[in-house]
Amino acid sequence: MSAAVTVPAVLRSEWIKIRSIRSSFGSLLAVLVAALGIALAVFPSIGQPEAETGDMDPLFWIYYPMNFVQIAAISFGATAASSEYLNGALRNSLAAVPNRTLLYGAKAAVVGAGALVVGVVAGFVMFFTANAFLGKYAVGIGEPGALRSCFGAGLYLALITLFSMGLTFLLRSAVAVLSTLIPFILIVSFVIGGVSEGVATWLPDRAGQQILFQEPLGTLGAWTGIGVTALWTAAALLAGWWAVRRRDA
Amino acid sequence: MTSIDVKNLTKEYGGRRPARAVDGLTFRVEPGRVTGFLGPNGAGKSTTMRLVLGLDRPTSGTATIGGRPYVTLDDPLRTVGALLDAQAAHPARTGRDHLRFLAASNGLPDRRVDEVLEETGLTSAARRRIRRYSLGMRQRLGIAAALLGDPGVLMLDEPANGLDPEGIVWIRGLLRRLAAEGRTVLVSSHLMNETATFADHLVVLGRGRLLADVPMREFIDAHSHARVRVRTGDPVRLRATLLAKGWTVGDAADGDGRWVVEGASAEEIGAVTAREGIPVFELADERASLEQAYLALTAEAAEFTATRTASSTPSPQEV
Repeated sequence: MSAAVTVPAVLRSEWIKIRSIRSSFGSLLAVLVAALGIALAVFPSIGQPEAETGDMDPLFWIYYPMNFVQIAAISFGATAASSEYLNGALRNSLAAVPNRTLLYGAKAAVVGAGALVVGVVAGFVMFFTANAFLGKYAVGIGEPGALRSCFGAGLYLALITLFSMGLTFLLRSAVAVLSTLIPFILIVSFVIGGVSEGVATWLPDRAGQQILFQEPLGTLGAWTGIGVTALWTAAALLAGWWAVRRRDA
Repeated sequence: MTSIDVKNLTKEYGGRRPARAVDGLTFRVEPGRVTGFLGPNGAGKSTTMRLVLGLDRPTSGTATIGGRPYVTLDDPLRTVGALLDAQAAHPARTGRDHLRFLAASNGLPDRRVDEVLEETGLTSAARRRIRRYSLGMRQRLGIAAALLGDPGVLMLDEPANGLDPEGIVWIRGLLRRLAAEGRTVLVSSHLMNETATFADHLVVLGRGRLLADVPMREFIDAHSHARVRVRTGDPVRLRATLLAKGWTVGDAADGDGRWVVEGASAEEIGAVTAREGIPVFELADERASLEQAYLALTAEAAEFTATRTASSTPSPQEV
């Protein structure tokens, strides 16, 4: 008999898992909702006055909603992983797909692809929504870095999602990951965010967000920055994979 | 057909002072019969099942299904159906979605999902979230998941847990039918009287070790002694006759003039009373229950362990 547990079969199964849990699928949709909602809440009122100060990179200002959008992405990654640890649900998953690397890889692929597709859409939504209210400070899609930033936003969101998923597999708890990552991104990174030199540059969120700048600051460029985030993500995914393979379920 | 083979299986938990949940276990579960998997809580039944499914890694030894470790099976759900813990399902999913993702991963059609929902009586609750299921419904969902791939081997941990009386009758019939179809059925339980209603064969564990691997009838006979219930119209003569033959006679617990003769069979007593012309109204072998046989065995095992511990003085490192 030929193997029934094929890669497409496990991918389909992982997609059903995400679709069928409100907290997971809801977090994924929240990426879009936050992109549109925050942009609509911010740019009609303070979009132009803030741009006028000239303190900010005109492109990066457009992605102000990213501060909140990425929290939805982190939640999506964390809940997609933690749903396997609730009540020992992983035992059912592993009885059906005993190859742990296949199970983990399929989940990462589905979660990553979902976040990438939704993230790119969110990137364009943020870009066009903000520009609609920025008047003379608007950035055209043909201007340098604009298109890159739209796709880059999606790439960044996919990487952050997988970073969170890998950590959750390692720690087996969404609460632990969310209560570490969210304060970290909201407070620590925000506080030291003004410092564009030194360690802060290499943090997973700071580095990856360089792709949203017209003129990336500091030492990292747009693509090297996202590459640094990709390394963080790869490390987290490997740690999660190690935990899934090694531990008793 | 496929059998489950456990060979020298050992699982230790903990680092510095490891505890053995399963200790050098060897047994085989054969197709075509229901094998009851017995032992007190903590005896290692669930650990053994997890090891067979490759969920936990054995410290040493092997567990195979038809000669292959579970993790190497091409078609796991069509080979083995397992119910380990009915609570191990995400409460936010509907019962149907829970089965759908399992089915999808093994290339099983959604039609099978609806079939097993029907078979386990969950069709009307299929689109309800699992968090709103009763204990019995979760148990039925776990059994539905085990049946999904129509597997040749079934491994069910306490399947009757939480089922209502109607459900218990249903599961009994289901287990009998699955075995009659030639499947390998391993069912753990700590309820002896319940196990007695469906098991043909028994594997009994105590503290991670194998205490017995025998047909149920043989197990009961081996761990109980013969006794006969008798009611007579002539107590004086019967008592005198039986005592003369060296049997002990006592009143049966339910009284009513019935006696219990220890160490005798109905054939023996029947022959004696016929020869003596003593009128007998009632004569029957008293079969020990599985529960009594099991308790006798575990008492023996406890005694064995106690004797062994007392006779050997382990060095401090060994403790």
